[in-house]
Amino acid sequence: MTTVKPIVLAEDNPRDAELALAAMEEHHIADKVVICHDGAEVLDYLYCRGPYKSRESGNPVVVFLDLKMPKVDGIEVLRTIKNDANLKPIPVVMLTSSREERDLAQSYALGANAYVVKPVEFQQFISAVKELGVFWGVINEPPPGGTESAA
Amino acid sequence: MEIATQDRPAPPPAAAPPVSGPVPKSPPLSLLRVERLSAWLAKWSIEQRVLAGFGLVFAGILVISVVSYHNTSVVVQNSRLDARSHELIQLLGSIEEALDAAESGHRRYLVTGDESYLKAHHTIVEQMPDYAHFLEALVGNDLQQRERITQLEQLIKEQLDIEASAIKRRAEQGADAVRHLALPGVAKRELDNIHRLIADLETAEQRSARARIFQSTSSTRNTIALLGLGALLQLVLLGSVYYLIHHDITARRRVAAELRRKGELLQAANKELEAFSYSVSHDLRAPLRHIDGYAALLSKTAGQSLNEKAQRYLQTISDSAKQMGQLIDDLLVFSRMGRQEMLRSTVNVDQLVQTVIHDLRLDLQGRPISWTIGSLPDVSGDPSMLRQVFTNLISNAVKFTGTRPEPRIEIGAMQQTPGEVILYVRDNGVGFDMQYANKLFGVFQRLHRNDEFEGTGIGLANVRRIIHRHGGRTWAEGAPDHGATFYFSLPLKRTT
Repeated sequence: MTTVKPIVLAEDNPRDAELALAAMEEHHIADKVVICHDGAEVLDYLYCRGPYKSRESGNPVVVFLDLKMPKVDGIEVLRTIKNDANLKPIPVVMLTSSREERDLAQSYALGANAYVVKPVEFQQFISAVKELGVFWGVINEPPPGGTESAA
Repeated sequence: MEIATQDRPAPPPAAAPPVSGPVPKSPPLSLLRVERLSAWLAKWSIEQRVLAGFGLVFAGILVISVVSYHNTSVVVQNSRLDARSHELIQLLGSIEEALDAAESGHRRYLVTGDESYLKAHHTIVEQMPDYAHFLEALVGNDLQQRERITQLEQLIKEQLDIEASAIKRRAEQGADAVRHLALPGVAKRELDNIHRLIADLETAEQRSARARIFQSTSSTRNTIALLGLGALLQLVLLGSVYYLIHHDITARRRVAAELRRKGELLQAANKELEAFSYSVSHDLRAPLRHIDGYAALLSKTAGQSLNEKAQRYLQTISDSAKQMGQLIDDLLVFSRMGRQEMLRSTVNVDQLVQTVIHDLRLDLQGRPISWTIGSLPDVSGDPSMLRQVFTNLISNAVKFTGTRPEPRIEIGAMQQTPGEVILYVRDNGVGFDMQYANKLFGVFQRLHRNDEFEGTGIGLANVRRIIHRHGGRTWAEGAPDHGATFYFSLPLKRTT
């Protein structure tokens, strides 16, 4: 917790994003969250281009990916991350409404680190997002290298 | 299927002509007959019709073969008889010649006393038994001819005897004793008789030979005609059998193509449905989450300033959102149960029931339920689907015995018909009125108000869908306030 490593949350729905932020706020990790509104923006962030040209280099501590997003969908982003030697170590958590077997199978096959179905109930949603944020942002030790050295 | 049934009646009229061909004389009657025949033929399957066609062809070949064989053997027999007649006529000629020679020889002896003239006489006397033997062998079975031969033999014997006695007298008493005999001959009368008899024999033989030639000719003509007609009939029959098979194959091909097309359509429809439920699962849940989420945020930020009524409103918003979320989840499970591929294996139902009861332990806390679990067989099926069945049925039983002071749940199996096993879950809960029994397994069908017993009304629909996919049945028995029993059957062995 010495350096502020960002958490990337890819969420096209601003309400979902707001609710997620409200949940993280309770654990004071909301300020670390970077919200991207579609898959293309996630890739811009990861490759430091477009609006993120001048951001501080380094990989995020975790990427939360929604499956269904405009422009580039979650599966595409996941595939890009896991096919790039520099980005590959970043933990990717699928955070989605879909419980479809097809999505689960495809995500894990592409190398997703976790798959979480967003609960409809707000209390459950809050605790899920909170726990995810705490686990990946605080408890989990991110992979060595990459974080500082990535371009 | 529709096409097949439409086509079925078509083949018989086409198949009928070869059969009805030889029959017709008066048009209306034959038309009626054809109709009745085609109606009768329509009841036959294509296999039976083809088999009947081949049977007729085979029978035809058999009849033709038998008749041809018979005709040919008549011709062969006749030609053998002809050869014998010919030989008989030749033999008669030789005998006649020899007798003539013997007669003129013995007259010369009577005049001259030169014994060398008796050579012909001695030869025929010596050979006569052989001649007689041959004659009898060659004459055949005609009674009249046989009689003539006997008569001929008799006459020849008499003739030769007379000649022999004249020769004897000449030798003993000299030429004068027989001079009166030498010129006219001793047995001129007998010899004439012999000649006449031989002529009769020959005429008779020739007559019967002519008859045989006539018979052989007509036999041969018949055979040729029969073979020609038979070949034609076989061709017609084989042609109609070919037509039948061809017609059937064409119909089958058409049906197969139709089925394939329908299958493709169904597959496309299924894909669409999958996309639809996918979109439902993803998009419908998001707004619900927002309703619940913002209601919660509102209650958190403004909770203190709201009065009790307003807080209850917020709670209701939140509860409704949750309920709808549950409904969507249940519907998705239901739709998935219909599409999901079945993974068959042997399922230990005993163990499955124990697992399900263990999973329900949170709902069972503080409930004095007395369980009766009979001996449960192993069945073949999809383990996770069957687990869903028992989860639904047992949690129903737990739910509907909630108001009982002494709840009892019984799980058992029975085997009434071979090849299937019946499993049941019985409870002493609130039960139901049998007049609603057919509604129990419908989607979103509920027999209780939500404030009595919670639920979305999808559990039993799921049970029915799963059991149907296993090839089994579901039914229920019950009475209000006297508990309910839910049955389902499973085939014991299924290969598909």
